[in-house]
Parts: sequence; structure tokens; C-alpha cells
Amino acid sequence: MNFTLIGQLLIVGLASGAIYALIALGYTMVYGIIELINFAHGDIFMIGTLVAIVVIDALGAANNPPTGIALVGVILLAFIASVVVCAVLGVVIERIAYKPLRNAPRLAPLISAIGVSLILEDIGKLWKGLSPILFPQIFPNTTFYLGSISVSTIDIFVIIVAVILMVALQWFVNTTRLGRAMRAVAQDREAAALMGVNVDRVISITFLIGAGLAGAAAVIYGLKFGSTVFYIGFNLGLIAFTAAVLGGIGNLTGAMLGGLVIGLISSLVTIIPNSNDPSTHGFGLPHGGVAWVEVFIFGILILILVFRPSGLLGSHTPEKV
Amino acid sequence: MAVSTNDRWLVPARDTRMLLVKWVLALLVPLLVFNFAWQGDALINNVILGINNPAAANTTLDQLIEAAVFVVVFYVVILILAGYLVASDSGRRGMVEVWADVLVFLVVPILLINATANLILGVAVSAIVWGIYFLLRKRIPAFTRLQPQSLLDNLQVISQEQRAAIMNRARAGGFWLGASLALVWIIFDILFYVSGQLDTELLIFGVVRTIILPIAGFLLGTLGGRVALRHVLNANGESENGSRQKRERLQATSRVREEAADVVPNDLPLRSKGARNFYLLLVIVFVLFYPAIDPFLFGYGTNGRLAGYGDAGFYVILALGLNIVVGFAGLLDLGYVAFFAIGSYAWGMIGSTQLTNVLNLPPINPQVLSVLFWPMLLIGALIAAFWGVLLGAPTLRLRGDYLAIVTLGFGEIVPVFFLNLDQYTNGTNGIVGVHSPAFFGIDWSTITPVPYYYLILALIALTIFANIRLRDSRLGRAWIAIREDEIAAASSGVNLVRTKLFAFGAGAFFSGIAGVYHSAKLGQVSPDNFSFGDSVIYLAMVVIGGLGSIPGVIVGALAVYSINLFILAQLDSMATDPTNFMYGVSHFITQYIPGFTFGNIRNLVFGVILIVIMIFRPEGLIPSARRRRELHHEVNEGPEEGALDVIPTAPGFETEVHVE
Repeated sequence: MNFTLIGQLLIVGLASGAIYALIALGYTMVYGIIELINFAHGDIFMIGTLVAIVVIDALGAANNPPTGIALVGVILLAFIASVVVCAVLGVVIERIAYKPLRNAPRLAPLISAIGVSLILEDIGKLWKGLSPILFPQIFPNTTFYLGSISVSTIDIFVIIVAVILMVALQWFVNTTRLGRAMRAVAQDREAAALMGVNVDRVISITFLIGAGLAGAAAVIYGLKFGSTVFYIGFNLGLIAFTAAVLGGIGNLTGAMLGGLVIGLISSLVTIIPNSNDPSTHGFGLPHGGVAWVEVFIFGILILILVFRPSGLLGSHTPEKV
Repeated sequence: MAVSTNDRWLVPARDTRMLLVKWVLALLVPLLVFNFAWQGDALINNVILGINNPAAANTTLDQLIEAAVFVVVFYVVILILAGYLVASDSGRRGMVEVWADVLVFLVVPILLINATANLILGVAVSAIVWGIYFLLRKRIPAFTRLQPQSLLDNLQVISQEQRAAIMNRARAGGFWLGASLALVWIIFDILFYVSGQLDTELLIFGVVRTIILPIAGFLLGTLGGRVALRHVLNANGESENGSRQKRERLQATSRVREEAADVVPNDLPLRSKGARNFYLLLVIVFVLFYPAIDPFLFGYGTNGRLAGYGDAGFYVILALGLNIVVGFAGLLDLGYVAFFAIGSYAWGMIGSTQLTNVLNLPPINPQVLSVLFWPMLLIGALIAAFWGVLLGAPTLRLRGDYLAIVTLGFGEIVPVFFLNLDQYTNGTNGIVGVHSPAFFGIDWSTITPVPYYYLILALIALTIFANIRLRDSRLGRAWIAIREDEIAAASSGVNLVRTKLFAFGAGAFFSGIAGVYHSAKLGQVSPDNFSFGDSVIYLAMVVIGGLGSIPGVIVGALAVYSINLFILAQLDSMATDPTNFMYGVSHFITQYIPGFTFGNIRNLVFGVILIVIMIFRPEGLIPSARRRRELHHEVNEGPEEGALDVIPTAPGFETEVHVE
């Protein structure tokens, strides 16, 4: 057992898990409040990456990477731009595509969400083209060693930013008035309205926060993975939504946990050797664990849903007649 | 509906004359547009010329015979329809309204199809016109405050004289349509002949036609009148079609079909059940004989068009299969493409050398292999159904959205399996050389798509038949019960597990059929053909068409196919042609957005359409009657009388309180 390898994979898994968790939070918040799978969320994330690229290029940072305070400033500006654009986009989408369908049967807003997702993907395609676009690698990526495990600073950065945002969100939802209003609307919309909560505004703010988190995730994703393309929104969104469901949809802590679990699975699975490779003597899976990541993720999801139908941390609300 | 009792067909009474003007003109105008603007008369003219001189007509005898049959059936049905419409008119829609309807729904599409020289594009543009017309038509009664009078006040028992009068009306309708059509036609023919553009034999045929048409109209109008009378229900329960018991049984079974039959069936004649039979007949004949009449109507390129329709066909089967899972049983399945992939690979592996290579067996004789296609249709479907049950089993306890994600997961996983297990499935390279079917000496090569066209028609017909029978069976009712309220269904004795598994299995069965056909037609299978995007498209077909409604899903499948795979590609090819107006439009846009092609914005257009339809018509294009009543609840039904509308001391107080 190669512990350094496992350790490295753990760190990488935590980093990607953190990104999944941030996106999953957006999904779970929206689902908790209006019971809608927001298919467009992943594509909002994608638009966030494109915005960040545009901002960083506009600041001229792609060609001469800044250092020190300038670097902090550039990254901060990219964050702000991405978060703002994504948040506004989230609210606009909610107003146009989901609000008229609030009382429609379940399938209608779902199809509408799929429609929005298609539109955003094409906008990304028209804006930046079909092939992957390089994200400016401005973050100073050095590796240092924790014992024998090599850790890169970008992973640490990703994990730190994600943790900060998640803690902030938990604080917001649990202590502030607005957070309480959000929890109330998620629990019982009509009773919340009776208690004087402006339901429309709360829903819009939920979308705002969820999309903003996706925007933040977009920047750290770009800094870590270095490229983006118009269809990552769908793939990442799917994985993130799986994470949200895994943790129990509607549950914030569950989304974070689910994201972490999925991140760890997706990176640990790559250990499995390639059975096509003669050196492994047939042990492992054809094409190695790398090709089977999705199968593992969904497999774990299905297993957990079979034994715990409401997810890991979800509460089972009995259906009343 | 006052029916005067001395209507004769040759010199009709005044109100019958009004009816005749209304309907004969309504049917005559589209026929004339079809014949002279779109060269519909070319069909019959070519047949006549061709029979006398086959070599000059550039068509085979088979085609001529098929075209002739089509023309005969076409005019027969139109004449019967004329009789039916005149006989069953109840005066509820005014003359101008009917003419406006016919103009927009018949004349405009014919003109547009002619202008664009393309069936699908023409129908697509006319769909836009229809949408605008629908919106306007709803607004107009609000402006003019027209209220159609309720017919329930005027129901009366039909007497023998009234019956005879209706028959006379029908005869008059058929006769006068035939006569006027013959008259206009012969005038045109004479004009053409005089200006030298018409052959003598066609003129002779024209004279013969002028004699036949009115007579045929008279006889066929009688038939139309009989159909109209059959659909008339008498107020006292007695009717022409046999005893009261038989009629009640008929009504009971028709109630089982989820169609809300009109109270007075001949109320809106253009939309009534009798007329719908005629429309169906026309559509069936058109579709059946399409390969023969296409060269006359559209010119060159028949084979390309037929290949496209063959492709559209398996989307219809897929949509119908998904309709069972999502529409009937209400199980949101986002991974339907997995079963399609299984079906495709089933024939792909057996119908080519793949399986025998893998198992190290000698390859099967190609002729035997091709005949294997037919049993494989069934076996592949059963394999897919088996996997449907297997993949549906873990989802049984899950609530709606979790079910969606798990099925989505399966939809992702299955292509990955096919991709990675490449020692069995040849991975990314896919399987090539998949055999076409063989059938008694018909040529199935890819040069002529005609056999595939008829194959897919047969498969679609089978699927529609199976779906209708499933829907009306106990199982179908159990599915609908589960969809509406699971707990209530379980309390009523529906075995949830078995019914849900059946739904998955049945849905996967049809996708298996589509998969086998698809791989045979395409000749190769590869995992790239199957992605989540396809699942989304199938779901969109079902939802846009109307959940749970079989004609709706068919229309939805054709509409989505046209939009997604056809219209934008057409616009692109039009944009490359400098003489076309799309060229300028496309140039203008690419100045601002480089990399713009119509094909590129396909998803954008599709997404916008999805959102618009969901916001404005969530029940779909042709909803099942139940869904329409659900979603437009407040519009159709007036305010309900509750118990509190009755003062406490009056009788009827607190008899029944309706809780929604």
C-alpha cells in the first residue's frame, strides 16, 4: 500500500470535494426551498468561469502574472466579478423561468430548468467557442511536503476558501434573520408567509446566494484545473447534484458531506489499476479506475439510496395523505 | 338546430343553402389551392399520361398505381367528409369562423409547404402561424362578446322526417362539392387547353371527371350522412345503432378511454369524432403512399427525405416508450437512453461479426444473419425490458426527484460500460458492419431508404396499437392510478412493486425495438451516440407533446425532431446559398458573433422553446383530456356552489361539501 500516493489522492480529493460541495450547496438550497432540481446551476458555474477568465484577461494578468498585493487584488476582483455575475444570473433565471411555474405540476419547472441549462450552454459556446479555454494560471503553485506527501498550495487555497465560505453560509443560515426566514420558507411556505416572511424575496435571495457560491467555486476551479469549456457545467453539475442527494437533499451539512465523499471517491478510485495493462496480471478494471469514476459515484449513490432513501443526513418526512 | 322537413338535395331550402355555401366553400378553397397552387393535379395528370405512355412519364408502374390509389382515396374521403360536415352542422360556429379556421389550418400550410418546397419546414412555419392564430382567436370573443349558445337547452328527440332531412342535407353537400369542384376544374382545363398547355387526353379525362365527380359526390355524401347519424345520440336513450344495452356498453368503454367525448358529438363538426375518423384516414393514406407521391409533389430528393423520415420514426417509438414510464406511470426517468443503447448493442453485436469474434466462433452466414433481424426485434426488445426491470428495481422506494437522479445515473453508467468493456463491445470504435434486415427479395441497401420507411411505419403502427391497448387495460389504469396518488392506489389494491416494474419493463421494451432498428439502419453502433442530452430530448418530446397522451407524444416527437435535427440544419444550408434571403441574415449576425451558425444555436432555440411551452402550455401540445381539465381547472368550470351559498333554513343546506 503506497501511503504517499493515498495521502496525495486524499488531498486532491478533498480539494475537488470542496468544489463539489460549494456547487452542491446551491442545488440543495434551491431544492430545499422550492423542491426544484435546478439543472441550470452547473451552467451558471460555467458562466462564472468564463467571466473570471474575461476579468483576468482584461486586467492583463494573463501575460504578466502579478505577485504580492497585485495578485491578491486580481484574484479578489475575479472573485467579485464572478460572484456578482453568477448571483445576478441566478436571480434573473429564477424570475423568468421558475417563478411563473411555481404552482405548476412537478415536471414543468424541471423541463424549464433543462431549457435554461441548454440556453446557457449555447451562450457559453457562442461566447468562447467550442474547444477548451485556458484559465490563466496566476496562482503561485508550489508544492511542499507534509512528511512524504506532496501537497500543492493551490489545493490548500481551494480547501481554505471553500471552508470559509461554507462556515459563513452556516453562520448566515443559522443566526441571521434572513437565514431563519430561509429555513422557515423551506419548512412550510404558507406558514412562513403567514408569519410575515416575504416569500418571493426569500426565494430570490436563496437563488442569489446559491449562485454566488457557484461563482466563487468557479474561480477556484479555474485556478486549480486551469481550463474550462462550455459543457463542464453539465458534468460538474451532475456530480454536484449527486453529492447533494447523497448527503440528503435540502440539508446544508449534508451537501457539504456529500461533496466531500464524492470528491474522495472520485480521487481514490483512480488507484485501481488497469486490467488491460499486462503488468497488473489482470487485476483491476479495464482501462483502470480512471475510466470508471462515474460508475463508482453513481453506484455508491444508488447503494446509499437503497438503504437510506433520504440520503445520509436527510430526514425522512413521512408522506401524509 | 332546426331541421326543416322538406329539404331536397337538388334545390335545397334556404338554411340548407347557407350550410352548403359554408361548407362547400370551406372545402373547395383548400382543394383548389392544393390542385393549382401546389400542383396537386400533377398527381393525377401524371398518372393518366403515364398509363398511356409509361416511358415518357419517368416513373414505374408501381408508383403510378400507388399514386392513382392515393388520389382516388383522397377524393372519396373528401366527398364523404363534405356530406358529413353539412349533415352534422349544428350552427354553433359561424360561417366566417369556419372559413377563417380552414384558411389558417389548411390553406396556409399548403401554400407554405409549396413555398419552402419542404414538408417539415412548411409545417414548422405554419405552426408559428397557428400559434399566433390561437392566441388571437381566444381574444376575439372577448372583444365582440360572442357567446355560443348552449346546445343542452335545445336537445330534442330526432324524428324520422328529421332523419331524412339530414340525409338530404348530406347528399346535397356531397353533390354540390363534387359539382362545384368539377366545374372549376373543367374551366381551368379548358383555359389551359385553349392556350395549348394541356394534352388532349387530359381534356378527355377532364370531361369524364366532370361527370363522375357530382355523381360520386351524391353517393358518397349519403355515406357521410350515415356517419353523421350514427354519431347522433338521442335524448331518450334509443338510437339507431342497436339496443340501449349495446349503446351503453359502447359508452362505458369509451369512458374508459381517457377521452372526454363531447356531450353532443356532432356539436363542433370540424372537431367531432366522426370528422376525426376522416382526418385519420387521410393521414394514414398520405403516409402510406408517401414514397409514391413525393416525386410529384416535391420533385427531386425523395430518397434523402425518406431517409430523414426513417430517422424521425424511431424517435416516435422512443417517445411512445418513454410515455409509458413518465406519462402513464408518472415515474420520472431521466436515463432512458440507456435502454436504447442496450437495444442497439443487442442487434449490433449479434447482427455483425462482433459476437462471433468475441466468442471465437466461426462467423454466421450473412444471409442467415440478415434474416435473424426479425426475431432479434423481439429478443432485443425483451433484453432491453429485462434490463429495464433490473435497473428499475432499486428505484422502487424512492420519491420522485431521487428517482430522477438514479435513473439519470443509470443513463450515464450504461454507455460507460459499453465504452470500457471494449473486449466485448469494441469500445470507442464502435461496431461497424451491422447487417440490414432481409425480407423476401426486397433490396435493403442504403441506396433506397424506402424499405426502411415502411419498416418503421409498421413498427410505429404496432407500437401505437400496443400503447393504446396497454393504456386501456387494467395495467394501464393501475399506472395512471400510481401517477395520480400512490398511496391511494396502494390502498385500492394496486401492487406497487409489480406495476412499477412493469412500467419500466414496458418502456424499455419499446426502446429496445427502436434500438434494434436504429443500429440496423445506421449500420454501426458506438457509445457516443448515447448521452444524457438524448435522454433530455426524449423527455422533452413527451412533455411537449403532452404527458400520457398518445397522439400528443407522436406530434411532440415529430416536432422536437424537426426543431432539433432538421430545421436548423435546413436554415444553415439555406444560409450558404447566396440567392437565399437567409444568406444576408446569417452574414449580418456573424459580424457581431463570430462562430455563429444556425446549427450552433440549436440548443439555445430548443431551450427557449422548452421554457416558453412550459410557461404558456404546460399540458403539452395535444394533452390527454384529463390533463387539460386538471391544468385549466379555473378556466373551464364556473364557481362552485358550496354549502354556504344556501341559507341555513332552506332545503339543500349542508347536503354536500366538495373539498378539492
